[in-house]
Amino acid sequence: MVRTRPTEVRELSEAEAIQRAQQGDAEAFERIYRLHNRRVYALCLRMVGNTAEAEDLTQEAFLQLFRKIGTFRGESAFSTWLHRLAVNVVLMRLRKKTLAATSLDEATEPDEDAGGPRKDIGGPDLRLSGSVDRVNLERAVEQLPPGYRSIFVLHDVQGYEHNEIAVIMNCSIGNSKSQLHKARMRLRELLQEAERSRAREERQAAKGSSGGGD
Amino acid sequence: MMSPIQCAQFERMLEEQPDGPLSASVTAHLQGCIECRVLWSDMEAIRAAGLEWGKEEVEPPEYLWSSLRRQLESEGLIRERPTQRGWFSAWFGAAPRWTLAGASVSLLLIGAMLAGYQVSERRSAAVLPVRLSISAATPKLVAADIGKTLDGDMKRVFDSLPEGNPVLASSLRENLGIVDNLIADCEKSVREQPDDPMARDYLYGAYEQKAVLLAAATDRSALEGQ
Repeated sequence: MVRTRPTEVRELSEAEAIQRAQQGDAEAFERIYRLHNRRVYALCLRMVGNTAEAEDLTQEAFLQLFRKIGTFRGESAFSTWLHRLAVNVVLMRLRKKTLAATSLDEATEPDEDAGGPRKDIGGPDLRLSGSVDRVNLERAVEQLPPGYRSIFVLHDVQGYEHNEIAVIMNCSIGNSKSQLHKARMRLRELLQEAERSRAREERQAAKGSSGGGD
Repeated sequence: MMSPIQCAQFERMLEEQPDGPLSASVTAHLQGCIECRVLWSDMEAIRAAGLEWGKEEVEPPEYLWSSLRRQLESEGLIRERPTQRGWFSAWFGAAPRWTLAGASVSLLLIGAMLAGYQVSERRSAAVLPVRLSISAATPKLVAADIGKTLDGDMKRVFDSLPEGNPVLASSLRENLGIVDNLIADCEKSVREQPDDPMARDYLYGAYEQKAVLLAAATDRSALEGQ
């Protein structure tokens, strides 16, 4: 008969798991992974928009976490620490992809020519009609510069507060708010462009069907 | 009296407080400025869409943990808790390479000895000379006693081996030498780290290995002598 120790029945708390993982305990590593994997995976998936890449990034983030777990002293929340690692892993990947070795500030504050938010705001004809289509939103987010994308996903999608984002992104709270606003402004433009091209396609399709019949 | 704000001030406010709250002066401005009202409405729509997106559950595939675990193991970052392992796996997990080879040879010898004979009722009488209890709490004195008992029993087995089977005697001596080397190694570890429960676990594992060898040799001796 296999006897089970009480500690094996009760699930480890995060603090216990961290302590034991620091000693290399396999069970504790798995517990930490199970506690945070969904959130980290969701973050990666929403940042890159590709499941295979999101899996790869999730694994990389946890690998880095477990390699460094011995250095965690509990000064900050563990989840914030983990998400900071994850965001850095994703940003590194995105920067490699765009072949632009830019700093976080450069990435989050693109100039006008690089696709930053323009000052002119849309008129009544460009209004987003009160609701935003999810597919369009995902496409627009994919077109955001990495820094904007991180702030938007962290705040508006994952629900982080600005003080947490400031720690994760290593910036000030004011900067986090300002970047979020700019990200939304850029998204608005991208969504308006998507709306315009959809309207154009509809017009062309209507023209084709009315004039091309035989 | 509330002072009216301009569009530029509203934009600045949005940058500083992108989620509000809207002050009375901003609300008043929005009522009179359609462009800013539309901008605010669009910002709200984007925020709401993001929130909805975030409510969707996404589940990473199960194989991700297996893959991660393999990577962690290959880097030597994780290990099983020793208390959850049997003495045998604990022993093989940390013992020197020659131990593994020696143990394998011992098991082969035992298998070969048993394979040639029917296991009779009498075999059950040839019980282990000592029954080992693997416990970190076992006093050091008991460990020494186990070693002495095993040595005495092994001598009696050698004395009783039939002279007509030198191959068996030689093989037994050879394997006994390997197990004795292991015991010496483990005893040294226990002397160096007397409070390490794992070191003591390994020592009892080594004794148990010798006891198994002894039991098999006792059986063989009894059968040969018939």
